Amino acid sequence: MTKVKICGLFREADIAVINREKPDYVGFVFAKSSRQVDFATAKKLAAQVDPGILKVGVFVNGEHSLIKRLADEHVIDLIQLHGGEDNDYIAILKRSVHLPLIKAIKVQPGTDLRGLDYDVDYYLLDGPVPGSGEAFDWTMISKLAKPYFLAGGINCANLEQALAVGCYGIDVSSGVETDKVKDEKKIATLVRRVKMKKGRFGIHGGQYIPETLMEELHKIDAAYEHYKNDPEFNRELKKLLDEYAGRPSLLYYAKKMTEDLKGPKIYLKREDLNHTGSHKINNVLGQVLLAKKMGKTRVIAETGAGQHGVATATAAALLDMECEIYMGKEDTDRQILNVYRMELLGAKVIQVTSGTMTLKDAVNETLRVWTGRIDDTFYVLGSVMGPHPYPAMVRDFQAVISKEARQQILEAENKLPSAVYACVGGGSNAMGMFYNFINDENVKLVGCEAAGKGVDTPYTAATINTGSLGVFHGMKSYFCQDEYGQIAPVYSISAGLDYPGIGPEHAYLNDIKRASYLPVTDDEAVHAFEYIAKVEGIICAIESAHAVAQIIKDAPKYSPDDIIICCLSGRGDKDVAAIARYKGVEIYE
Amino acid sequence: MNRMKNAFTKKAFIAFITAGDPDLETTYQCILEMEKAGASLVEIGIPFSDPVAEGPVIQKANIRALNGGVNTAKVFELVQRVRQVSDIPLCFMTYYNVVFHYGVEKFMAKCQDIGIDGLILPDLSFEESEEVNQFKKRYDLELISFVAPTSQNRVKMIARQAEGFIYLVSSMGVTGTRSSFAGGLEELVALIKQETDTPVAIGFGINTPEQVKELSQYCDGVIVGSAIIKIIEKYGQDAPKHVREYVKEMVAALG
Repeated sequence: MTKVKICGLFREADIAVINREKPDYVGFVFAKSSRQVDFATAKKLAAQVDPGILKVGVFVNGEHSLIKRLADEHVIDLIQLHGGEDNDYIAILKRSVHLPLIKAIKVQPGTDLRGLDYDVDYYLLDGPVPGSGEAFDWTMISKLAKPYFLAGGINCANLEQALAVGCYGIDVSSGVETDKVKDEKKIATLVRRVKMKKGRFGIHGGQYIPETLMEELHKIDAAYEHYKNDPEFNRELKKLLDEYAGRPSLLYYAKKMTEDLKGPKIYLKREDLNHTGSHKINNVLGQVLLAKKMGKTRVIAETGAGQHGVATATAAALLDMECEIYMGKEDTDRQILNVYRMELLGAKVIQVTSGTMTLKDAVNETLRVWTGRIDDTFYVLGSVMGPHPYPAMVRDFQAVISKEARQQILEAENKLPSAVYACVGGGSNAMGMFYNFINDENVKLVGCEAAGKGVDTPYTAATINTGSLGVFHGMKSYFCQDEYGQIAPVYSISAGLDYPGIGPEHAYLNDIKRASYLPVTDDEAVHAFEYIAKVEGIICAIESAHAVAQIIKDAPKYSPDDIIICCLSGRGDKDVAAIARYKGVEIYE
Repeated sequence: MNRMKNAFTKKAFIAFITAGDPDLETTYQCILEMEKAGASLVEIGIPFSDPVAEGPVIQKANIRALNGGVNTAKVFELVQRVRQVSDIPLCFMTYYNVVFHYGVEKFMAKCQDIGIDGLILPDLSFEESEEVNQFKKRYDLELISFVAPTSQNRVKMIARQAEGFIYLVSSMGVTGTRSSFAGGLEELVALIKQETDTPVAIGFGINTPEQVKELSQYCDGVIVGSAIIKIIEKYGQDAPKHVREYVKEMVAALG
């Protein structure tokens, strides 16, 4: 991924946004400039910069003694030479200071970039007038002998062209300023856009997958990039969503719940009313339609509770595809009715008996099977997880939830909600519920994780609250794992949230503090399941009940002027027997 | 000095073994027996809870090893023991999370320290390999590149960067013994050879001397895993001498 350097920091106020957005480098200018800092200011600012961000000192023919002092006191990690320094200057500097060097080159027509032979680690290509905010002609850049930063006039408007140049990093200063000071929003937008490149969400995401599948992933990526902008594809998908799945789903004002909880005005986004009973159909119709366009004749999918399996089997039946569903033995035992449903829809259900025999093992097995037969087969992944392009593609297909909800709440209330809530396993309904509210900064995004028997017990699936950074199932994200990186067995009453990882975009929203992820226990979820049934007459999925439970807990913190929306991701028929057993009542399906 | 080159002075027999299956002592004995039987390089598998590129045989070996209490630290100790008596080229084969969670640089430094020559990480794609590549010179380690039957459009890009050896996956799917391989393997080897002198070893599914004889005509080495694991599964602690006999027979078939 292209590195990003935010240069010219001189205000303490900018450090917080830097630490939140985490560019790779920041620059302090010690030369004459409107952004110049002295030793003391730089030292004070540098001490507050996140240790993961490297600090670059920018000098124009700078005094060696000052540079050495800054290096010795760890104020700077790299040295940028922005004046007429030659190799003699560099040789002397290197005797006393052992930090990586960047040599800035003012590029003008005729500058010989191939012939550069400074004894440094990086070059930085800048316009003829540094600090002017004016870009030079980037087509002049040929292959350089050393990695280089591109600087001069880069901003959010020409970012794509800058990244296409193929530089090691971009250097931005005036491009993220308004009225000569750093602009928080511009920094956030620019850094996020650089980090979003190539299927990344900050440090998360990526494509960590065996070579056999890589070519196919690139094909899916290319096909999706094409069809998502194809009017005909979008017309067909909308028709399926509206006429077959029953969209738009209702945004229902939960009046009784609102009155009973005496907190905010509560709306429920009724994904449980979709055909097949959950939000899963949104994603599945999109992916199976895409598979069809790619000429595939067979779809395979993993399933936990069976919701995604049933949805995939449904779409496969409708769109004439052969269908195989992989499901852990634990889950086929827990959700025997869903197994029969899938078979009724013409799918073959394969019981997975490896590992912990739950959702993660079903994903493993589906990946293995896919590796063996790619030509005619499309893997319909059920959540915003896996290797790129799946997290972005599934999010886009699920974003219809928040696209509708945002419009519906504006029509009903003429204002945006204070918060939206959704349960999170892999995180597809939550990503769908959050997505179109991400830029509405006053709308809080709350994900509700399955804490199982509690986050301080081993019987939990709360990844953000108990997991750590790792790489698994094709993505970098947070995972529940042990001290040696072995993926931990997880537990939740809800088979749909019983997964040891979380989608990479959620991991990123957590990192930048845009969304918060709170743990909800089995007990709390079961209580909420019963509560919403009695109060609103809605039997929701035990997964969705985790979000309802968090709202019950949070209601007192809101005022009656607040509006919150809860994504009811699925209906609860499938859970009735399990909840009865949990309560000590034996019933037989 | 990295020992990888020593493995390819003639046609190479590369043996895979899961560390700690059924216990670390048996693994130790098997490695030494395989060396005696003529193996050129040993891939030591650090077990992982969710080995997505493996078929049932190696999956079960991973589970047996983990249930026996094997962890990364204990596998490092195993390598240190082997290095006291052997100079055979050694690679670690594991899943990227094992390395990532330990700390990529720290893991690689440890590898150099204990005498590992290369890393084989089937779920670290070429696209993400920079995370490891950036440290390989510093710690004198090779990161093995994979080429698969689906890699036609990617061969050039991969081969140009490849060092140590190239792991050519013989067939679609996961590891496990097979009776036939994907078509076009010989053409893939030729494509690779156009780009690089890095040796090419074929793995996945190989289990008979006849297959070794056929494949080694046009590649630089063969990799055998599941067939060895099956012997260990069958004989347990008694496996080392059976493994030696099997490897001897396979090595004799090399072209």
